[in-house]
Formats: sequence, structure tokens, C-alpha cells
Amino acid sequence: MKISYNWLKEYVYFYLSPQELADKLTNVGLVVADIKTVEDDFCLDVEVTSNRPDCLGIIGIAREVAAAVGGSLHFPEKDFVSSNTEITKYINITVEEPVLCPHYTARVVRHITVEPSPEWIQKRLRCVGIRPVNNIVDITNYVMMETGQPLHTFDLDKLPDQKIIVRRARSGEEIVTINGARRVLFHDMLVIADGKRPVAIAGIMGGKETEISESTRNVLLECAQFEPRQVRRTSKAVGIASDSSYRFERGTDPEGVDYASQRVVRLVKDCTGGEIANGVIDIQSHKHEREKVTLRMERVHKILGLEIKRDVVSDILKKLQFNVINEVDNYIDVEIPSFRGDVYREIDLIEEVARMYGYNNIPVKTSISVRGSTKSKEEIVEGSIRQFLIGLGFYEVKTFSIVDTSSLQCVNLWSDKEGIDIANPLRQDESRLRTCLLPSLINTKRYNINHGTEQLKIFEIAKVYLAGDKMPQEKTCLSLIADTDFYTVKGIVESLLLNLGILSKCEWTIFNESRLFSNEKATKIQMDRVTLGCLGEASKELGFKTSTSLSELDMDFLVEKSCFTKKYQTLSLYPSVLRDLAIIVDEEVTWADIEKCIASVNISFLKEINFFDIYRGKQIPAEKKSMAFNLCFQAQDRTLKNEEVDIAQQTILDNLCKILGAELRK
Amino acid sequence: MLDKLKKVKEALQNEIESATTLKDAERLKIKYLGRKGIINDLMKLIPTFPAEQRATFGQQINSHKIDITDIINDAFKKLSSESIPKIKKEIFDVTLPGKRPFIGKLHPVTRTIEDIKEVFARLGFDVAYGPEVELEYYNFEALNIPPDHPSRTDFDTFYIKNDILLRSQTSTVQIRIMENQKPPIRIIAPGRVYRPDTVDARHSFMFHQVEGLLVDEGVSFSDLKGVLNQFIKTYFGKDVQMRFRPSFFPFTEPSAEVDISCSICRGKGCSVCSCSGWVEILGAGMVNPNVFKFVHYDPEKYTGFAFGMGVERIAMLKHGIDDIRLFYENNIHFLSQF
Repeated sequence: MKISYNWLKEYVYFYLSPQELADKLTNVGLVVADIKTVEDDFCLDVEVTSNRPDCLGIIGIAREVAAAVGGSLHFPEKDFVSSNTEITKYINITVEEPVLCPHYTARVVRHITVEPSPEWIQKRLRCVGIRPVNNIVDITNYVMMETGQPLHTFDLDKLPDQKIIVRRARSGEEIVTINGARRVLFHDMLVIADGKRPVAIAGIMGGKETEISESTRNVLLECAQFEPRQVRRTSKAVGIASDSSYRFERGTDPEGVDYASQRVVRLVKDCTGGEIANGVIDIQSHKHEREKVTLRMERVHKILGLEIKRDVVSDILKKLQFNVINEVDNYIDVEIPSFRGDVYREIDLIEEVARMYGYNNIPVKTSISVRGSTKSKEEIVEGSIRQFLIGLGFYEVKTFSIVDTSSLQCVNLWSDKEGIDIANPLRQDESRLRTCLLPSLINTKRYNINHGTEQLKIFEIAKVYLAGDKMPQEKTCLSLIADTDFYTVKGIVESLLLNLGILSKCEWTIFNESRLFSNEKATKIQMDRVTLGCLGEASKELGFKTSTSLSELDMDFLVEKSCFTKKYQTLSLYPSVLRDLAIIVDEEVTWADIEKCIASVNISFLKEINFFDIYRGKQIPAEKKSMAFNLCFQAQDRTLKNEEVDIAQQTILDNLCKILGAELRK
Repeated sequence: MLDKLKKVKEALQNEIESATTLKDAERLKIKYLGRKGIINDLMKLIPTFPAEQRATFGQQINSHKIDITDIINDAFKKLSSESIPKIKKEIFDVTLPGKRPFIGKLHPVTRTIEDIKEVFARLGFDVAYGPEVELEYYNFEALNIPPDHPSRTDFDTFYIKNDILLRSQTSTVQIRIMENQKPPIRIIAPGRVYRPDTVDARHSFMFHQVEGLLVDEGVSFSDLKGVLNQFIKTYFGKDVQMRFRPSFFPFTEPSAEVDISCSICRGKGCSVCSCSGWVEILGAGMVNPNVFKFVHYDPEKYTGFAFGMGVERIAMLKHGIDDIRLFYENNIHFLSQF
């Protein structure tokens, strides 16, 4: 809220420069975002939190200043002289919805002249950013800025039947508001109506037809209280947010209605002359009862960690206009003023004490009780994967979880169901929660290519969102792209799985279900028949000029299955024997077949099988290939004799021949 | 004849002794092994010998030729190793760049979260996570933000449908943890949050927060100040000042916004701190008793504090980054700087 420095000074004594004032206000929770010089005044832009509607009026700010610096308060005059004619002669008011409108008052001023308001009013309104219109409108705005209570004036002569009814709108009823917009109303909205039609949307905005114009001679001043949630709902539904609705939806002072009404009438009389009808129409469903709260000193100490004396506390509360009814021993009984609807519990009073005592004067406790913290498996696995990948030259990236609905993003690795859509997206084309990380990484790679970085290895660990019964399943995935061929990226993933202790349990099968991947150079990784992820070379359709490989893995599954316990294997004291072999097999035979076949021979001293070359060419028959590997033999208890290794090797070769039709390449 | 060969060899050995440069050695090579050299001259004599002696003589010449070649080659080796430094002067340049292995980088957001986690782990905080697609209840109601409440204005939110939304704050994790655990509780919860803000240099519709929660018996505002002071001094530096300002969050009471002295201008005033000398880094407060009611904690017995900070904002302050969008463009020239 914008306030005027000079205006504020009228209500509270203080000797502070605008900057000093701003610092004081900031320290009690009213952040001053900006100070501007306006004519011979200063405009302070005060950020008022939504719990403090009392500070949406300058008087409210004055109360805070008074409490903070100790200056005395002076509230402006409200008394006036009225004529002998009773108000009831001019207007009849009915409130049909006392819950939605707990308090409605009206006053009438006759024989006025609508003209520009006096310069001093205009100047103040300009300072706080309100455009002067005419004296009547300006005065209601002035009093709203002063008190925080919104007000509305109707041209009395344009209300047929001299009637005001506060009622629910009839569905389909229409109103043109003073900003010129036509709104269709519904039954759940509250309106101010004359005998026939709505003349205002209650607490939000008045109607065009009854607004004050140059020809207005007699005015009806409405000053009321409306139920905050109702105002907020209606304001949202009709799409009108006004200074009035802003205040009503935060809650106005239930005891402040009459004061504001009298202030307006007084100012109208001062500025334009006119004749004030005697009396007021005041319809109140129930009188506001002030809250009474007991503050326990021990609770103050417990919450704030601050030793503070009772008289200091009660002094703070009194300065804030709280009524201290009683203080004995360790208790203070407090009556809450009507304008502080945000205070109704002990904890709220404690906050007031802390605020005025000064948050920065509360001690900083430097010790804390002992508690061991442990790292979850999730954190350990994620951390180790991150470190592993950056060590291999990968950059970690972070991309948006909300993606567009392009065909690239519609690739689905983890579920057959469509992605989840956002009902109110910022942009129509960015409206879906992603179901796969790879498309975002592909876009990131393209972005970097366009910005001059051709060679790039990147990864991301983030969630994908898969449609579920009610709530979606959120799966954490690891995705990576590298400018390498299939076997290099497979090697990276294998090493990663080896680090997590799960490589040996993984099975690799051909994967040709996704159009992100090349049809033949891609594999699905499974463990215990559950898909752990996939990897392979990027499909040509993605348009990368250099060989590019992709992988996406299920992090949750990796975390679940990973195992960091390592069991030491006794080192053999005896030398190992290496035998290089090359066998010729059919094209269809895979390395996995060969490994399995060798392992099935069950030679206790066969330590390792290491693939090292594949060859197809002149010396090899068509549709056959030569696979070269070495076998490492080592026993724990003796030096192996050449003859026993020979026998073992021959057994292996015989088995390869028998099962896979392999023959030794000579 | 053999004598003659021996003399040739001896003569060479003498001459080699006095050879000091590669040129000397070259001259001797030509003299002895050249086309018109001594050895070749002797070879030419072979046909003049009687047939039965020719073979012996040939062998003798050959074996001496091998010896002579060795002697000369040795001289070459010796002289060249001595003469290289004198002829070509190469200096080993230790200032040339080393062959660096190519190593990647963590994203600055991850790095910042890790650093924050590290500070709080030392204070006994565990890491907790919660879902990003949430029920309205956890994002609002249980955090004391009722429907149609004006404080909802501060929390514009993406909705999926009905009461399902994308969380707009990590405070949701507070409720989920308290629902399932009894005090004492000491957690931090990092994660992604979403708000339909128009994207500009300061706003992103997706960003990261770290939420903190400590609940126990006898926890006070003074403890909150102590813990946050510890965080600020560790993360931003010992000479950085901390300031608490009263504020309002529905789920804490009393509530505070916490500023640190501006590290750019050292409190003198600059564009980063809008000339105030202070920059806001987090929101905090004592857990509102209404929140305890939702999770069935006795507010008379337990007290606690909570805090929340924007990760990008903290990274931006720490590294002087002026545009939040850089975090999600993932330009390698940006990522490689951290």
C-alpha cells in the first residue's frame, strides 16, 4: 500500500526522516519497498502482509509507528451537524443476507455540488497513486485510504422506489460496473439492489447507472461490512479486483464502520456544503464482541527463548492499543481491539511481543541438542552416480518437468498411458508432466549444438510422472546422452552398474520399441524380470551428425537393488595362466551364449573370461564370425600344471563345439 | 696381410681417440669405409692373391671391416650424445598446459542443495522427500491456508484436476513427515516446486526449495535464530550479518523473513539489494499451533520451527548470477563455471 509521509504525520507524532521511518516500519514487519518524492511529499510503498488489513489504512500504519517509536496518536475529526429531516424519509434499506453482510449502514447528504475536490485532497490522492475524479468519489477514496474501510456512494435520485436491498443475485442478472464492463451474475453472489436491479456487486464495485456524476445532487453513502470469503469468491468469479474487494477479502474493522461513514459525511459537508439528513440507517446482525486472550509469561519464554519481564510485555501490548484487563503473577489478560482480527490466540500475542521487542534483540542460541543424522540409501546412490558420471566428463543438467505435447515429448518409455496434463498451464503448448527424461536431454543437446558446442556428455536425475489411479506415480530416473557409439555408452552404464554391485544380475536384450533409438543398436536392461532401463545409439531421425548414444534408467530400482557390501576374495598365491582363443561361430551366436556355454563347463579354477575381438572377413566363411577371448585360469591352492589347463581348455572347446557348433580358429 | 689389417685397425683406433666432433667421425668413416676408403682398397687386392688364399684373406678383411664399423659407430654414438646439447638447444617448457582429463560438473542447483544439506547434516538434520504432485490438503489446508483465504493469493498454483495440484512449496513435506513420525523431528526437504509465474530474469515456473523443520520439546525462536545463523555463517561466510524481520506465513507464528548483509556491496547499497544493504534469503518461523492440530501433536508439549529457502535465489546470490533462466537453459559455457 502506498502511503503519504505528510499524511501519516498528521495522525502520529514522530521525528524520523522518510528513510528512518521506512527502517522502523520494516523492522516491525511492514516492509517499505520504495520511497519516492511526490511534489512536496514522500510516497512510501509499504508491503502489507495478508493478515494485516488494519494496515491498509494510514491510521493503522500510524498505530504501528506509535507503538514502535512511542509517539502519540491523533485521529481526525468526525463530528458534524445534520439537518432536521430524518434519513428514513429518503431511503429504506433491507438486508436479506445478514451472514454475508453482517453490518450495513447508510447516510444521505442532499443538495451537494459535484465538482473537483479541494487541492489538498487531490494532492494526497495523487501521492498515494489514486487518480482524483470528483469531490464525492475523492472523499470516499480519501477516507478509505485513511481508515482502511471501503465506502461507496450512489446517486440517490437514480435509485427508484428509494430502496436498497442487500440480497443474493438472481442467476442471469446483469450489471454494468463503473469501469464499463458488463457482468453476468449468479445466485451465489451478493449484490446491492434497488427495487428492480443490482446497483453494485457487494464490496467489489458499484454500477454505472447509479454512479456519481456532475448532475448528482443527492447522495447515499454506503459503509458496510461484507463476509471476506464471499467477496473473494465473487471477485474472482467476475474477474474484478478493486481497492475495495482487496480490503474486504482481508477483513475490515467491525467497529470501524460508523467512524468511516461519519468521516465521509463530515468531509463532504466541509468541502461541498450540502445538507446531511438526520440519523443513520444501521443494520447489524450482531454486535462485534472483542476477543479476550490470556497470555502466560512462561509461554512467552518457551516460544521465544527470551527472558522478558511481565511489565515490559504488558507495556508493548498497551502501546499496540491492546486493552490489558488484568495482570497478576505470570498472566496478562488482554482484550483484543476490533481492528486486530488476526490476533485471537496466545501465540498471536507472543508474536506481537516479539515484533515490538525486536526480532533482532532475541538472543541467538548457539547450542543445539545432539542428534545423529544418517544418509539415506537414495542419497548415497544418487551421490555416487553423480560423482561417477562427472568423473567421466558428463555435465549434469536440470530441465523442466513441464513439457510441450510435441511428438518428441510424447515418447513413452515407462508406461503405455498418456502423460498428465495441467489444467491451468502458463502456455497452452507447455502443459504436460513429462513421462520420460530423454526428450528434454535431446533438446538440451540440440540447444548446445546451436550454441557452438558439438561434443557433449550430459545427464539428469529427475522425476517422470506416470498416470496412476488417483495420484500419479512419480518415478526418479537417470538419463544420459553422450557422443559415443553403442559399446562406449554400454561400457559406461556397465561400470555404473558394477559400482552399484548389480551388473552381474543384469540381462541385455534387443530393444526396438522406441523411436528415439536406433533399431538394432539398442538394448533393454532387465534385472529379476523388471526393466531397469534401456540404452543405445540415437535414431537417425533425431538428426545428430555424430554418433550419439542415449540411456535412461530407473533410479528408484537402482536404489532398491544396489548393494555396497563388498566381500573380500582371498588373493591366490599361485600364478595365473592366460590362454588366448579364437573360435568361429554362426552369425546368430551371441557373446552371452558363448559366456554361458563356457561357464556351464564348471571349471573351478577358471577365473575370468575376457572378450577382446570380433572379426568377419576373408579368412572366415560367410555368415560366420570369429570371436577372440582369453581365459584366465588360477587355482587358490596350487600352481596349475600345463596339462590340466590343456584339458580344461579342451573341455571348454568341446562344449562350445557341441552346443554352439563352434570351431577353433587355427 | 693379417699384419697389415691389424695396423689399419690400430691406426683407426688412434685416430678415433683424437676425434672430437661428428665431422671428425664422418671423415674417418669415409677414409676407412668409403667407396674409395682403405678397406675397399684392400678388397680390390683380393683377385691378386693366389686362389687358395683368397677365401682366408676375404674372411680376414670382412671380420676387420665389422670391427672397424663398430668402432666408428661407437664413436658416432658417443660424439652425438655429447654434441646434441651443444648443437640443438631445447628447453623443457613447464608452463605448457598439462593434459587434463575431461571432467564434468554438477549442476549449480545440485551443488547448492548439496552444500545446504552438508551444513544441516552437521546439525543433525536428515533429508526427507515428498511428492511433487500433491493433494490440496498438504499444500494448503494442513498448512493453515484455508480455501478462499487471501493468503492463497501468494500461492498461485498449477492444478491437475479437482484437489490435485503441483506443489507450490516444499512445506508439504512438513505435514507428510509429521503425520508419520512422532517428535523429535529434524529434517530438511529439498525439491522442485511449481508456480504459474510469468517467466523473466527473476521468475521461473519451476524452481527448487529447501524446507527445514525441527520439532521437539523446548524449541524456541532463539534456537531458530541459532540454527539459521550457523547456516548463514557457514554457507555465506563468517563476516556476513543476519537480520530477522517480522512477516507472515500461515503455517508459522511468529513468522520472519531473514536477510543477510549484501555480499556484493558489503552493506553500502547496490542494485542486488535495491540499495538497502540487505538481501532476503529465506522465510522462517515457529510452527503454527494450528498446523500441529492437523497432525495431532500437542502444541502445549511440543514446539518447533520451520524455514524455507529458494535454491536458485541462494545460488544467484552466492555466484552473482543475474538471470534465473540460465539454470534451465543448460548452456555448457554456463554449467562449466561452477
